[in-house]
Amino acid sequence: MRLVQFTAKNVFRRPMRSALTVAGVAGGVAAVVALVGIAGSFERALTAVFERRGVDLLVSSAGGLQKTSSVLDESLCGQIAALPLARDVSPGLVDVYSFAEHDLFGVVARGVPPESFLIRDLEVLSGRRLAEGDVRCVMLGKTLAANLGKQPGDKLDVAAREEFEVVGVYESFSPLENGWLIMPLAELQRMMDRQGKVMVISVVARQPDEETILALRDEIAAMASNLEVLPARSFVGSMVEIRLARAMAWMTSALALFVGAISMLNTMLAAVHERTRELAVLRAVGWRKTSVLRLVLIEAVLLALGSAALGTLLGLGAVHLLSLFPTAGRLVVGDIGWDVIAQGFAVAVVLGVLGGLYPACRAARQVPTEGLRHD
Amino acid sequence: MTERAADVLLRADRVTKLYLDGHVLALGDVSFSLHRAEYVAVMGPSGSGKSTLLNVLGALDRPTSGEVYFEGQALGAMPSLDRYRNRKLGFVFQSFQLLPVLTALENVQVPMLECVRSDAQRVARARALLDNVGLTRRARHLPKHLSMGERQRVAIARALANDPPLLLADEPTGNLDTFSARGIMRLFTDLRYQHGVSILMVTHDPQLAAEADRILQMRDGRLVEP
Repeated sequence: MRLVQFTAKNVFRRPMRSALTVAGVAGGVAAVVALVGIAGSFERALTAVFERRGVDLLVSSAGGLQKTSSVLDESLCGQIAALPLARDVSPGLVDVYSFAEHDLFGVVARGVPPESFLIRDLEVLSGRRLAEGDVRCVMLGKTLAANLGKQPGDKLDVAAREEFEVVGVYESFSPLENGWLIMPLAELQRMMDRQGKVMVISVVARQPDEETILALRDEIAAMASNLEVLPARSFVGSMVEIRLARAMAWMTSALALFVGAISMLNTMLAAVHERTRELAVLRAVGWRKTSVLRLVLIEAVLLALGSAALGTLLGLGAVHLLSLFPTAGRLVVGDIGWDVIAQGFAVAVVLGVLGGLYPACRAARQVPTEGLRHD
Repeated sequence: MTERAADVLLRADRVTKLYLDGHVLALGDVSFSLHRAEYVAVMGPSGSGKSTLLNVLGALDRPTSGEVYFEGQALGAMPSLDRYRNRKLGFVFQSFQLLPVLTALENVQVPMLECVRSDAQRVARARALLDNVGLTRRARHLPKHLSMGERQRVAIARALANDPPLLLADEPTGNLDTFSARGIMRLFTDLRYQHGVSILMVTHDPQLAAEADRILQMRDGRLVEP
């Protein structure tokens, strides 16, 4: 018999109580996996929208709290494109619209030049691509088209003030992008009253090596004093929306985790109390205080690991279910990273140690002679 | 038994234990020696200090004054009393104090979990001990499926897990029928003569005490003439 086997037997001694504790902590872990996972996968998916197309740098105006408030002169594109180290450049503008009659809120509208390399790889499922000179035309991602019930040739009210023609339905490698609509840059500039302005400029370096990219970044940054030039990952990571989503996910999870921690503490205190005499026997047969402490802590950690496993499954299940809903599926990308699952396990183990520490200390400090008299 | 100093395993020297800020005398100036392979019975009415004496000798409790010496070394000077309890002595309780979730075989291994021994070594040793106490076929049973006598045999096997030279037994036959009690006493006799284990046993049973080499009679926390 090993210590961990001994401990496991104690865990299964009160199966209902252990199961309820596991369920309590699992709720917190599921919240971490689902909420933090969704925030993380959204960030990864958005990063992939740029990185998969070889975007090395994103240029925006510095100092703004939100990247969407960035305003750059469109003419900057031409200047960057003229740099010898730059291979491809594409301006972009983003706005968010709602289609209340379809219960769709926060639909991303992306304005790019029809010839932009950023949309070149989109597979047209029906209709056609955007073309030079298109006016009041949009392409819809396949998820959005399905949610709106639109197909090429249909009319679409954008922002409840302008009617656009759906010219094509596309499929992207990115589930996120499948929920967007894409229109010519000039159209979105007009809609947003930002003629001649763009939000961000995507830049592909001539060579994808670090030296070239860094040199290109320095050259672009030197063009004007108000420019922020970042790799795609840093750009997305620094978006206030992403940071807020991440913070909100942790804050919401923290509440669930707090409940789990109290549940763990309560269970371990009860376990130590009902085993007062047994723990005293262990001390009587020569167990050190640290061994008794370890016994109780391992029990708490075993419960926590069970909670982590269950919570991870629940969290993954919840995310999968969400991604199946048409409206949520536009935002929820189901690929929860291993890092988030690891964080869920780490949080559970920390909860186990914290929830078990006080009861374990009480158990270890117990005077054996008093414990042996305990009923 | 000879009285040679080298044979002395344990010695209590003017051990006093006071409770409630000195208002209750549990032990007063108790002095005696226990020799190797000696069986000493401790008798006395309830509240006379017998269990307190066992607790002090077993380092579960510290004396208010006086000292206990084991193999010549003062318990107060030992670097680890846990180690003393784990390696040098075994406790046998009246109510067995087995861990209910563990089988007989696992209960016997509990003290060994503190020693640096492999799992296989622990199991082999526990099996051998259960064989010695006649419980070979009961090794996989939980305590609740064992008779009272069998439980006490498991407790004795556990007490012997780390091969200690001393057993401290607190009314080990108090919960047993006469037949089982005789079996336990035969086991103690074997331990003394075959393995040289010393036994200090608290008992109310004059017949069991009569088998002892010596009887320590206690009254009001003090040793008195039998």
